[in-house]
Amino acid sequence: MLEDVIVRKVLGAALATGGEWAEVYAEDRLSHNIRLEDRRVEELVTGRDRGAGVRVVRGTSSAYAYTNRLDEESLLEAARVAAAALREPASAEVRDLRRRTPEVRHPVAVDPAGIERTTLAEVVRRADDAARSHDPSVAQVTAAYGDVRQQVYIANSEGFSTLEDRVRTRLIVQVVAVRDGVVQTGFDGPGRSMGFELLDQFPPEEVAGRAAARAVAMLASKPAPAGEMPVVVGSGNGGVLFHESSGHGMEADLVAKEASVYNGKQGRKIGVSNFNGVDDATVAGGWGSFAFDDEGTPAQRTVLFDGGVCTDYLSDLIRARQLSIKASGNGRRQSYADVPIPRMTNTYILPGDDDPGEIIRQTPRGLYAKSLGGGQVNPVTGEFVFGVVEGYLLENGQVTTPVRGANLVGDGPSVIAAVDALGSDFEVKEGTCGKEGQGVPVGNGAPTLRIARMTVGGTGGAA
Amino acid sequence: MTSELRNVVQRLAAESANGEGLEAYAEQTTETEVEAFEGRVERLTSASSSGVGVRVVRDGRLGYAYTADLSDEGLRECLAEARANLDVSSEDPGNVLPGAEAYEALEGIFDSRQVEVSAERKVSLALDLEARTQAADPRVTKVEAARYGDVIGQVAIASSNGISGAYSLTQAYCYAVALAGRDGESQMAYAVDSGRCLDDLRIDPVAAEAAERAVRLLGASKPKTRTVPVLFDRQVAPSLIGVLLSGLSAEEVQKGRSLFADKLGERVGAPGLRLVDDGRLLDGPGAAPFDGEGVPTRRNVLIDNGVLSGFLHNTATAARGGATSTGNASRGSFKTTPAVSAHNVFFQPGDKDQAALLAQAGEGLLVQEVSGVHSGANPITGDFSVGVSGLWFRGGELAEPVREATVAAHLLDILTGIVAVGSDLRFTTGSIGGSSLLIGQMTVAGS
Repeated sequence: MLEDVIVRKVLGAALATGGEWAEVYAEDRLSHNIRLEDRRVEELVTGRDRGAGVRVVRGTSSAYAYTNRLDEESLLEAARVAAAALREPASAEVRDLRRRTPEVRHPVAVDPAGIERTTLAEVVRRADDAARSHDPSVAQVTAAYGDVRQQVYIANSEGFSTLEDRVRTRLIVQVVAVRDGVVQTGFDGPGRSMGFELLDQFPPEEVAGRAAARAVAMLASKPAPAGEMPVVVGSGNGGVLFHESSGHGMEADLVAKEASVYNGKQGRKIGVSNFNGVDDATVAGGWGSFAFDDEGTPAQRTVLFDGGVCTDYLSDLIRARQLSIKASGNGRRQSYADVPIPRMTNTYILPGDDDPGEIIRQTPRGLYAKSLGGGQVNPVTGEFVFGVVEGYLLENGQVTTPVRGANLVGDGPSVIAAVDALGSDFEVKEGTCGKEGQGVPVGNGAPTLRIARMTVGGTGGAA
Repeated sequence: MTSELRNVVQRLAAESANGEGLEAYAEQTTETEVEAFEGRVERLTSASSSGVGVRVVRDGRLGYAYTADLSDEGLRECLAEARANLDVSSEDPGNVLPGAEAYEALEGIFDSRQVEVSAERKVSLALDLEARTQAADPRVTKVEAARYGDVIGQVAIASSNGISGAYSLTQAYCYAVALAGRDGESQMAYAVDSGRCLDDLRIDPVAAEAAERAVRLLGASKPKTRTVPVLFDRQVAPSLIGVLLSGLSAEEVQKGRSLFADKLGERVGAPGLRLVDDGRLLDGPGAAPFDGEGVPTRRNVLIDNGVLSGFLHNTATAARGGATSTGNASRGSFKTTPAVSAHNVFFQPGDKDQAALLAQAGEGLLVQEVSGVHSGANPITGDFSVGVSGLWFRGGELAEPVREATVAAHLLDILTGIVAVGSDLRFTTGSIGGSSLLIGQMTVAGS
């Protein structure tokens, strides 16, 4: 994308004022997004975005300047602007840029760029038809397909460069069902680091069917009870809970700032002996996967919890040096317009040995949170709130009445400590994680699991 | 300043073929952000970027494409992509471009002083803000973030219908996040200020507010479940208003996703309650002379004396619904087709400040933080259940702090339950102004 000879000049200019190391990040992104709503293909948008940023780092201080002009003069200007933040004599040199070879690949079988526009329109129409024929109560369907090809070039003055072609595709279906004045919504949205073959693995009809089934099931729901109770979390969704309530607290920038509830918890046993959690960017085709992170560090698998013991943190280059830990390949950014910060990739609670059906049968009373919506966490205290988008009462070990408006409230370490059953099943939910205004694709996975006691907020009175 | 962008959009608009409507919308932004941490500049970001989005309409169909490559070849490719995308889109009466309408400039959104602000002053402001937040209270253990940011933006639009407009704007803001600690417990809170220029920012009140809000949560516990009056303070009110607001967009109404769809002309709030969106209000960051498709902005009353009086429209929703655009077409950036959103929305302030409202309510919960709004609030069904922290108040005085509580109610009940709006209206960085909102009764769930 950029010539090494120009990049070396840019890195040299960036280091002129005392930076310890400097980096060039350039990206070229081509995307297609098609959306159907109200039975109409509303829009197909083609987008081309590109730009480059120059970062100068000294200790934990960094200066970043970016531009979306990729000519030599604009890049040199960005380097000078970033370098102007420091006022020291030059102390580091630009080493020879050795191209790193990827250790993991996320192959693309069918290049989305070669797909006809009419085929894209068919995908969303098939999803629409399937959702509407699922049940007469289905009143509204939104179906969106998107693909992006992101070419990323990174060069670091410490002597390496990387070039990666990332392709991601995703299909999202959202359904509104209405019956007797009650309105409910359902969602499904698989995404992978792969090409158009995503749709062989997740046919639009099946994705739409799952979204519609969720909306329809909740039509008969009653307001959720409030109070403390055992909660069984449906497969995959425990990953969302884990990501928000513990994963963020294990990001090294929050640890370094002593702004995490996991600060100083390394080596401590928090969960049950079969509680194992990882963050793994090497998962083949994972939504949060890549070959190199956005600082050029190779993708890795990092163990967060091993047998209930809190183990490693997730770091980028700056925080790894500051905390004297290994760079775990978690430096990510939304685009060239952002600086990389420690982020999760594919964050999983690994399966246990319990039969998922048995977990429910062994729970006389409580809530079955089959599907969670988004969540929010205060990383300092670890406190979180999650909306339950598909929930049921558990009575006498049976899944009974659907309930709406339920909220799970708690804090990360307490919830991990309270997990007392881990299923042998496993599922992944894809999403976009937001932090400091930057969204990045992440996968969250988990088996069916039970939390012995947690606070449920709802409007249906005390449980 | 805007001449290069004007040139790009006018050249594109001139390419329109017979029977084709063509609009080009371009933006250029220059931004700076400085973050201080422990007396040093932890991060300084400086940016310049630009791009253009091309919208083509023909026979009721829409095609869209954007590019950050403003070279002749980049623009040519972008236009070709937009035209090809049009062929697979469905017909929709909303796929029309607005006609040209004269707009009145809004000089107040651009403060020329901001262009001259040196990098040194931006850095000093962030460092000072951090130091003063740290010093504001001995129980502040750390300043988690102290940030200064600014934007100088330019927008230009041109269409085959004769629309031609451009403006420049400036924004500056700063915020601090304070951590307070005692006996191993830690609490976090933030405060923010914004203006058109760095010189408008007042860092001492920001430092004091962030520190006070964090410190007063120390010792918070989970409450017993009770039904009491609840006062949302002006920092959290925008999250609540934001959920209601999505249902006031004509797009959501037309797509069957609004709680308010069949309530036009009906009472939805107490007498005297008024919700306004004013695209020309200079106090709000969303002020602009025209909207995201070149329609002049204006003041729209959405709830008038407790009665739902209107929805927000862009040209597409107006064409579909036989209405007139209210000047509320919004562009997230040049990458998106026009959506519908508010510019500067707020409840008409009442005459009581927060202290007077606490006295009026007597006993209840002051909410200073809400969490889980994007998952716990459903603007379609009206279910609303969020995590809250704050302080009990008794006899109009603040008492012990509360955390890990939830409040839940139907959104329409919350709206009708607003018994008073505070006099403390303030806009910061978002399009929603916040003032204290006193709700008559809500269930606060804890243990």
